[in-house]
Amino acid sequence: MFRVAIAGAGGMAHMHASCYTANPNACVVGVYDKRPDAAAEMAGANGATAYAGFAEMLEAARPDVVDVCVPTPWHVDYVVAAAEAGLKGVVVEKPMGRSVEDCERMAAACAASGTPLFVAHVLRFFPEFAEAKRQVDAGAVGTVVTVRTRRGGSFPRAWENWYGKPDWSGGVILDLVIHDLDWLRWTFGDVERVFAKGISPKLPPDSEVNSDYALITLKFKSGVIGHVEATWADPGGFKVGFEIAGDAGLLESNFNQPAGVPFVAALQRGAEAGAAVAVPESPTAVNPYYAELDHFLTCLASGATPSITPKDGCEAVRIALAAFESAQTGEPVVLP
Amino acid sequence: MTVKIGILSVAHMHAYSYASAVNALPDTELLGIADHDQARAESAAKTFATRAFGSYEELLAAGVDAVIVGSENVRHRPLTEMAAAAGKHILCEKPLATSVADGRAMLAACKTAGVQLMTAFPCRFSPAMVRLKSAVDNGDIGKVIAIRGTNRGRCPFDWFTKLDQSGGGAVIDHTVHVTDLMRWLLKAEVTEVYAEISSRMFQQEFDDTGFLTLEFDNGVFATLDSSWSRPKSFPTWGDVTLSVVGEKGVLTLDMFSQNLVLYSDKTGGVSWSPWGSNIDELMIAAFAKAVASGSPLPITGEDGLAAAAVSFAAYASAKAGKPVAPEVVL
Ligand SMILES: NC(=O)c1ccc[n+]([C@@H]2O[C@H](COP(=O)([O-])OP(=O)(O)OC[C@H]3O[C@@H](n4cnc5c(N)ncnc54)[C@H](O)[C@@H]3O)[C@@H](O)[C@H]2O)c1
Repeated sequence: MFRVAIAGAGGMAHMHASCYTANPNACVVGVYDKRPDAAAEMAGANGATAYAGFAEMLEAARPDVVDVCVPTPWHVDYVVAAAEAGLKGVVVEKPMGRSVEDCERMAAACAASGTPLFVAHVLRFFPEFAEAKRQVDAGAVGTVVTVRTRRGGSFPRAWENWYGKPDWSGGVILDLVIHDLDWLRWTFGDVERVFAKGISPKLPPDSEVNSDYALITLKFKSGVIGHVEATWADPGGFKVGFEIAGDAGLLESNFNQPAGVPFVAALQRGAEAGAAVAVPESPTAVNPYYAELDHFLTCLASGATPSITPKDGCEAVRIALAAFESAQTGEPVVLP
Repeated sequence: MTVKIGILSVAHMHAYSYASAVNALPDTELLGIADHDQARAESAAKTFATRAFGSYEELLAAGVDAVIVGSENVRHRPLTEMAAAAGKHILCEKPLATSVADGRAMLAACKTAGVQLMTAFPCRFSPAMVRLKSAVDNGDIGKVIAIRGTNRGRCPFDWFTKLDQSGGGAVIDHTVHVTDLMRWLLKAEVTEVYAEISSRMFQQEFDDTGFLTLEFDNGVFATLDSSWSRPKSFPTWGDVTLSVVGEKGVLTLDMFSQNLVLYSDKTGGVSWSPWGSNIDELMIAAFAKAVASGSPLPITGEDGLAAAAVSFAAYASAKAGKPVAPEVVL
C-alpha cells in the first residue's frame, strides 16, 4: 500500500486523489494547499489529513509518494523538497516546470536522491493516442510525412486566474499542447526546429488574458512535418483530434468528418446567458489518469523504469518554450 | 445577351467542370475549345457538344466574348497575352502565374488591351464561405485574431508534378485558394510567409507537402496546410477548411462536407457523394454576368497574383529556413 501525499487541492489534484483512493494499492494520507479550506475539503473526501505546511506533511504523514499538483511555476519547489526527503517516488503534473532549468533541477534532485520521478503526461494513457502510436509503429500509414493535432476549447477558470497569466502557465503553448508535444515526440522522435505564432507570447510581462490561441509548426529530425493547434478561444466546446498522413495511408481521430456541417458559428455569450454547452464524453473502462498513476505505482513496486522519464518531461517543455520563443521573436527556433 | 465563351486549353481538370457549367447556364454558350494538344481539344469538344478549333488563334477569331484559360500553369501567360491582344475578357485558372514577372506581364497585357482578367477562385462562391464572410463582416466574432486553414488533396500527378509545366508541386497548387479566401475575408495583405516544405510523400523532385504560416498586415496570423496528403483510399479528393478565431468566438468552415457517405460492397470502399452547391457554376455565372453587363469582374488578376506570390514566398522561405516577405504585386 503506497501512502500518497498531494501538494495542491485544485482541479487536477482532485482527479489524482480520486484515482489513488480507487486504487487498491494506494491511499491518500495527506493534502497540502495554500488554501487550507481547499486542502481540508479534499482531505475529507479522500479519508486523508489536511496539513498547514508541506514540510509538516512530509514529517507527519510519512508518505511513500508525493504527487505535485500545484500550478506549474511551483512544481520545482515541491519536487525538489520531496526528492530531498528521500521518498519512494514523486509524481509531477505536466508541464514538468515553467522553465527548462526548473525541469533540469527537478531531474537532478531526484537523480541525486535516487527517487523515481514521473511526469504525468496522461495523453500517453489515452487509448486513442496510445493506439495511434501502436498503429504508426506497426507501419499502418507507411512512412509518416505529416501530422496535425488540435486541442482546446474555452478558457479554463482556476485559482487566481493562473492559466490567464502567461508568466505562470505559459499559455496554451506550454500548458495545453504540452500534451500533444510530448505525444508527438514519443511517436515521431525528436524535433529539429519550431516555428509558432500565438497571442500570449506577444504580451508584455505581467499580462493577464482570458483567451489564448497558437499555431505551431514542427520539423522533426525524421523529416516529418507537424502542426499543432492550441486554443483557449473556442466557445464551441472542448475538442481534441489528430491526423497522421503517410505514403501508404491516413490515420485520424476526430479530424475529417465524413459528412458534416459546412459552417459552424461558436459564439461567446454573456455569463448570464448560462452555460448550455453540450459536453461530449467518450467513456472507457479505465480512466487514463488512473492508468498513468497505477502504472507509476506498479513500477515503484516492481522496480521497473516508468514509461515517462524526467528527460521526457524536460524535452516536452523545451519544445514548448522554443515555440513560445519563436512566437515572440518571429523566427524559427532550432533545438539542440 | 448570351455570352459566347471559348476555352483555351483543357489541360486542367477544372476546365471540364467550367465547360459543363457554361453548357448548363442559360446565358452562356460554349463556342469552342482549342488546345495545343489537338486530340485533347477534340475529345473535350465531343464531351461538351461543341466545336474543336485547330488553333487558339482561330478560336479567338471566331467571335467569342470571353475566354477561359485552362492550360498548364506555365502557359497561362502566353494564352492570356494572346486573348488580351484579341480583345477578350479572360477567366484564368489558378495559380495565375508561375512567377511574379509572368503575372505582372499578364496584368499589363490586359490593361493595355482594355480587357478584364479574373482569377478562377470558385471557393469565394461557396454558400458556406459567403455565410462565413457575412458573419465576419457583421462582427459576430469581433476582431479576427487568427485563421487555421487547410487545402489538402490527393496528388493529381499528370503535368501537375512536372515542374517545367506546373512551376511547383503541392505548394503552388494548393496555397492560392485558401490564401485568396483569407485575403478576401480579412481585406488584408500577407506580409510574411514561413514554410516547411517536403517531398517525402512521393520521394520525387516535386514538393508534395507544405505547412505555411502567414502574417497579415492587420496583425492576423494564419497557417495553411497545402499538402497532397490524402491517400488514394481517402473517400474524397480533399478539402478546404477554415477556422476563423475571433475575440468573441470561432467560425469554422468545412467547404466540401455536404456529402452522403456511401459504404459500397461493389467497390469495397467508403466514398462521399457531394450534394453541396456547384461552386464552379456559381463562379462562371458571376463571370458571365459581369462580362455581359460590362461591370468589373468579381475577382481580379491582382487577386490571383497576390495569392500566387504567397506560394512563391513559401518556396523561398523553405529554402532560406526563415520567414520571407512575399513580393508586393499591386
Ligand atoms: N493532465 C491534465 O490533463 C491537467 C489538467 C489540468 C491541469 N493540469 C496541471 O495540474 C496542475 C494544477 O492545475 P489545476 O488545474 O489543478 O489548478 P487549480 O487552479 O485548479 O488548482 C491549483 C491549486 O494549487 C493551490 N496552490 C497554488 N499555489 C500553491 C503553492 N505555491 N503551494 C501550495 N498550493 C498552491 C491553489 O490554492 C489551488 O488550490 C498544473 O500544473 C496544470 O498544468 C493537468
